[in-house]
Amino acid sequence: MTAARKDAIIGAAVLAVALVTPFFLSGRYVIGQLTLFFIWATIVTQWNLVFGVAGIFSLAQLALFAFGGYSTAMLGLYLNWNLWAALPMGGLAAVVLSLIIGLACLRLRGPYVALLTLAISQVMYLLIITDTACFYMEGVTCRNFTGGTRGFAKYGDFGFRELLGYKYMAHGDYYLALTVLALATAFSIFVIHSPLGAAFQALRDNPEYARSRGISRFKFQMLVFASSAFFTGLAGGVYSGYYKVMGANTLYISLLLFLLAMMVIGGLGQTWGPLLGAAALMLADEALKDYPDYRAMGVGTALVIFVLLWPRGIAGGISAFVQRIGGQTRRASASASEKVKSAQRP
Amino acid sequence: MDTATQILVSGLTLGAMYAISTVSLSLVWGALNVLNMAQGALLTLGGYFAYAAVSALGFPPLLAVLITVALGGLVGLLMYLAVIRHMLDTEGFEVNVIIATVGIGTVIENAMLKIFGAYPIRQPIMWEGGFFIGRTHIPYNSVVIVLASVGLMLILAVVLTRTRMGRAIRAVSQNREAAQLMGVPDQLVYAQVLLVAGALSAASGIMLSTITTLSPTMGYDPMLKAFIICVIAGLGNIAGALYAAFILGVFEAVVQFVFGVRFAFPAMLLIVILALIWRPYGVFGRRKVSRL
Repeated sequence: MTAARKDAIIGAAVLAVALVTPFFLSGRYVIGQLTLFFIWATIVTQWNLVFGVAGIFSLAQLALFAFGGYSTAMLGLYLNWNLWAALPMGGLAAVVLSLIIGLACLRLRGPYVALLTLAISQVMYLLIITDTACFYMEGVTCRNFTGGTRGFAKYGDFGFRELLGYKYMAHGDYYLALTVLALATAFSIFVIHSPLGAAFQALRDNPEYARSRGISRFKFQMLVFASSAFFTGLAGGVYSGYYKVMGANTLYISLLLFLLAMMVIGGLGQTWGPLLGAAALMLADEALKDYPDYRAMGVGTALVIFVLLWPRGIAGGISAFVQRIGGQTRRASASASEKVKSAQRP
Repeated sequence: MDTATQILVSGLTLGAMYAISTVSLSLVWGALNVLNMAQGALLTLGGYFAYAAVSALGFPPLLAVLITVALGGLVGLLMYLAVIRHMLDTEGFEVNVIIATVGIGTVIENAMLKIFGAYPIRQPIMWEGGFFIGRTHIPYNSVVIVLASVGLMLILAVVLTRTRMGRAIRAVSQNREAAQLMGVPDQLVYAQVLLVAGALSAASGIMLSTITTLSPTMGYDPMLKAFIICVIAGLGNIAGALYAAFILGVFEAVVQFVFGVRFAFPAMLLIVILALIWRPYGVFGRRKVSRL
């Protein structure tokens, strides 16, 4: 069985479970948390593609997500667009931003990319929260173009309430977020097993030889960075339609860290790392809900422990475990057949 | 004229503050290839330690500063011994170690938040008052910051060029394998570098807190600015970092005056992006030729 086919089967199985889950789980809280999990997992799968597979040390993934979300919300608010029409525009807006960031950063070496992309997200955050200029008046209150510290609200939603009724509106958001995650995961599996993935592996394993064979790191990195930005921006659009408020809290460093921890703990560069990491972190977060003071400290400690002791993350651990079991069974069967042979010997 | 003096004074103060942070980042990068994302937290730690030493333990300010600097060095050393040392020479070191320092920074920052609370506190160690040049008010605090920073840089320069330890640090930064073959104990050098960097960061944090206020996130923006300065200077280039820090400090003050405080950081970022498109290895940096 090829690796690509194995990933496709695992993906289909996970998707099937996710599709039927709402029929067995009631409770809007659980459905809501799962929706959020799909949104974070979408960002992390794409970030993993950029960071772990393509080797772009970008910390701007959350900025792309926020940009997509803001674009969707602003189209709804300022141009009165239906959010279903604004959603793909959010994805495209993130692609445009990623192209600009990519052109500015991707010719640089690793740590420089990290520094600049982090600075770009922080500048975006600062420009939003320090925005005090009046763009329009709402009654007697002055509103800023970027929403300022208050953010945006009342720009519409996906209309699940009218479509599905009050009881099932949460399911609408659930399946929308799941669809985006499924598309994003399918895309990442495709990239990992495509010639693009092979090119990155070549660039990692022997950069000089790969380059002399005409593989352009810059071109391929741009391609992955921009296309992953599309799904990240879509996730932003889903987030803005789901929460019905969009604010600068989507650019908080604590959130960036939370997602970074998902990626690292799940396993950098591993196909199923992001999903495992996102699930692990969401569960841990749920467990620490009553101790909010220790939440960030826990994330920080977990980051250090994982890069120090298990740099391949949960996914790496699982695949090593599976290989060992596989090796043992193979060895066991080999020795068994050996015994049979020796028994047959006169 | 008065405005110009004002801008120059605040620019030099900012530059002096950034210079120490930048040099400390640059030192760690140069010797270990580690991008220290815990720098912002180390700044915060320095500010709060000094505050606690004066207000809670009642130490005289000068003693408090010395103790804080020593403790900063200790934290840097601990960072090396507990985490970084175990990651050297592992696969994906450059990336993993950055993630590790991010984690360390988060832990330190949230520990400060837990101990001292989220509300901004005024730094008690401060030289009150000031004097006038023409009609421009110049606070003593700014003068102290500039002098202290220049003093620290001079000490560092002497240490790096004249002492055995400094020569070892520079040797390891320039060529680790060659230094090892010459019998330079690289593990010791790394420990020393983290110690010095931690101490410098703590000093920089005290200065920073006298200008702004103490808060758990106070180190974050200055760290990013120090990063930007490092990038312009070329990572690991200490002399370049010093020039770039003062130039960008004055630049920031000018932008703050002309366009408003809001645009200082975006303008710096724009400059660095343009500079990197022009010279991808930093304005003062030299291109590393990679051999096959």
